[in-house]
Amino acid sequence: MPVNRILLVDDHAVLRAGLRLLLDAQSDLHVVGEAEDSRTAAMQVAALQPDLILLDLSLTNGSGLAAIPSLRAAAPHARILVLTMHDDEGYVRQALAAGAHGYVLKRAADAELIAAIRAVLRGEMYIHPALTRRLLEDLLPQTPPVSPWESLSEREREVLALVARGYTAAEIAAQLNLSPKTVETYRTRGMEKLGLRSRAALVQFALDHNLLTPA
Amino acid sequence: MNTMRVSHRLKRWATAIWQVIGAVNIRAKILGIVLGLVVLMGVAATIEVRLLLDQTLTTQAREHSVAVARDVAARATDLTLMRDYYGLFRLLRDTQANNPDLRYAFVIDSEGAIIAHTFGAGFPAGLYDANIVTSNEHHRSVLLATDEGDVWDTAVPIFDGRAGVARVGLSLAAREQTVAAVTSQLLITTIMAAAIGITAAALLTWILTRPILQLVELTKAVTGGDFSRRAQRWADDEIGALTDALNAMSDALAQAERERAEREQMRAQYVTRIIAAQEEERKRIARELHDSTSQALTSLLIGLRSLADRHRSPDLRRQVDDLRGIVGQVLHDLHALARQLRPSVLDDLGLAAAIQRYVADCRARSGLTIDLAMPDLNGERLDPALETALYRIVQEALTNVIRHAHATTASIVIERRDGRLRAIIEDNGCGFDPAALRGDGDLGLNGIRERAALLNGHLIIESAPGNGTTLYVEFPLLASAEESYACEPYSVGR
Ligand SMILES: Nc1ncnc2c1ncn2[C@@H]1O[C@H](COP(=O)(O)OP(=O)(O)OP(=O)(O)O)[C@@H](O)[C@H]1O
Ligand SMILES: [Mg+2]
Repeated sequence: MPVNRILLVDDHAVLRAGLRLLLDAQSDLHVVGEAEDSRTAAMQVAALQPDLILLDLSLTNGSGLAAIPSLRAAAPHARILVLTMHDDEGYVRQALAAGAHGYVLKRAADAELIAAIRAVLRGEMYIHPALTRRLLEDLLPQTPPVSPWESLSEREREVLALVARGYTAAEIAAQLNLSPKTVETYRTRGMEKLGLRSRAALVQFALDHNLLTPA
Repeated sequence: MNTMRVSHRLKRWATAIWQVIGAVNIRAKILGIVLGLVVLMGVAATIEVRLLLDQTLTTQAREHSVAVARDVAARATDLTLMRDYYGLFRLLRDTQANNPDLRYAFVIDSEGAIIAHTFGAGFPAGLYDANIVTSNEHHRSVLLATDEGDVWDTAVPIFDGRAGVARVGLSLAAREQTVAAVTSQLLITTIMAAAIGITAAALLTWILTRPILQLVELTKAVTGGDFSRRAQRWADDEIGALTDALNAMSDALAQAERERAEREQMRAQYVTRIIAAQEEERKRIARELHDSTSQALTSLLIGLRSLADRHRSPDLRRQVDDLRGIVGQVLHDLHALARQLRPSVLDDLGLAAAIQRYVADCRARSGLTIDLAMPDLNGERLDPALETALYRIVQEALTNVIRHAHATTASIVIERRDGRLRAIIEDNGCGFDPAALRGDGDLGLNGIRERAALLNGHLIIESAPGNGTTLYVEFPLLASAEESYACEPYSVGR
């Protein structure tokens, strides 16, 4: 069985020791080196050409995210698995965009880490399950509008355009020479026709339909 | 009762007049007084002079006519007695030539027949009877109004009436010419006096009203909040004293305003420092939890896993798994705590990512539907103080929605318009009356207002009971700050 060579990049010495103990106990994994900042990491990667880099996002002098491109350049064939505390999808997006192959949370390290390492080594992507859902939410289908923008009355369109641009009800009333109550009525009716439930949904709708270009 | 009605009417008139007079400015009032006085004096003097002159000239003309008539009578005595008609005629002609004002002269003999007269064509009818003198009278004068003007007709008996009567008519045309000339002279003098008076009055009112108008300007400026204006002191009179008093008041107000502004600035700086220190402290603790405590716990977790891997005893493995569960839970809680204190996303990835994360947590925690739209924040960075303020504001606003609104849907919009950033947090809940908000009470909405004000922004609340609530928070965006933060690279870690 081929032994996969792993480089640990983490600023926490005790954690590195624990990881080395855990990974070396696996017959197919072997830790060949450690680094605690991105500069030594890049040197180590170039010298050792590991199969996999286990990378923390917070390093002694700077960001692990910023280090990913240079690590990839130093060893184009090495796989990069991010191991971090951060569970915000923003970090996941940026790590994947920079060239990482997987994303594991430290709090799940004991249960998932080894499986994740093997998956990434096989050439697959691994992302912590709780994060995948949030990443994919963007792709969920949006409910289409009940009726199109053109079916709205002139007044409703005027009011909604101003609501979407962020004007207050008082400002809209002043601008269109209406009472705030009437503005509210036009707004509610227009939103109902479009099947929108909130101002944010209206802004998104306006954006999707190019309605926010300056009048 | 009647007097009461009259006094009532008088009062009404007085008010009506005062409404007209009171409405015009001081210049018009003074000019009116001067003009009125001059014209009144001029007209009165003219009328008086005309009357006097008229009287004097008339008397003079009468005396003149008497003198001429007596002269004619004296010189006509012999001629009449001798019945020398030609002599009489020459006498009358000479008299007329010597007195240009003499309209006519004629002589009547003792029988009452006209024996000589100066009328070329014919003797006018009615003239004869106009003035009948009796022989014991010295003379008799009558003022006749003829179609050629007034005429003094004087009759004098000749030789005590035994030889007839001499009559002369003296025209008053010269009198009228003189009166007209004097009147027009007086009127011209009056108009010139009025012109001089008006010029003098205009100058006077300018001198009087200039300082008053200046004081009005000063007062307006003070009312408008401009305490830097001072009025110039023109004269040493009451207006000068008023000017001094108003200037002193402006000084005092300016001083008070300066002190107030200083205090306000100090307070704002103080609050800004407190907020910054609080954020710094939270950030430090969150980092500490993340970097040391969590890493140590992760090491523990991994160590436990290794321990379990190396030992086959099921008893031990079960105990180790329990421990791993506990450590995992503690790690999770610690992480949540650190994020609550201050999410590292806010510093590392910016406002949009932090709000997305916070909203996701709120959805999971409260079951509320929360829509989010941040069309203009495509991962770009804003001024850190602004990002922190907006994050805290959204946090407080959403907390209020969850706690007070009983809403089903909330919405957060952050957009940019005309160099300003606007965050709009809206819910469809029960609403409240923003006017009833206490200025000193709860920290929530007042805190939002305060945070906004410290960054030159402001908060608008639109809400009514039963109608949902919308908070608008608006900040100015500095163009330079926008650019410099937009291209700063992301960074993670310490
Ligand atoms: N979205 C909302 N919907 C309905 N009522 C609201 C909403 N936001 C605020 N209120 C009302 O305004 C009051 C003041 O809110 P504020 O946030 O200032 O204080 P608080 O939430 O009561 O206390 P705290 O200081 O803990 O925030 C609330 O008590 C509530 O009655
Ligand atoms: Mg509150």
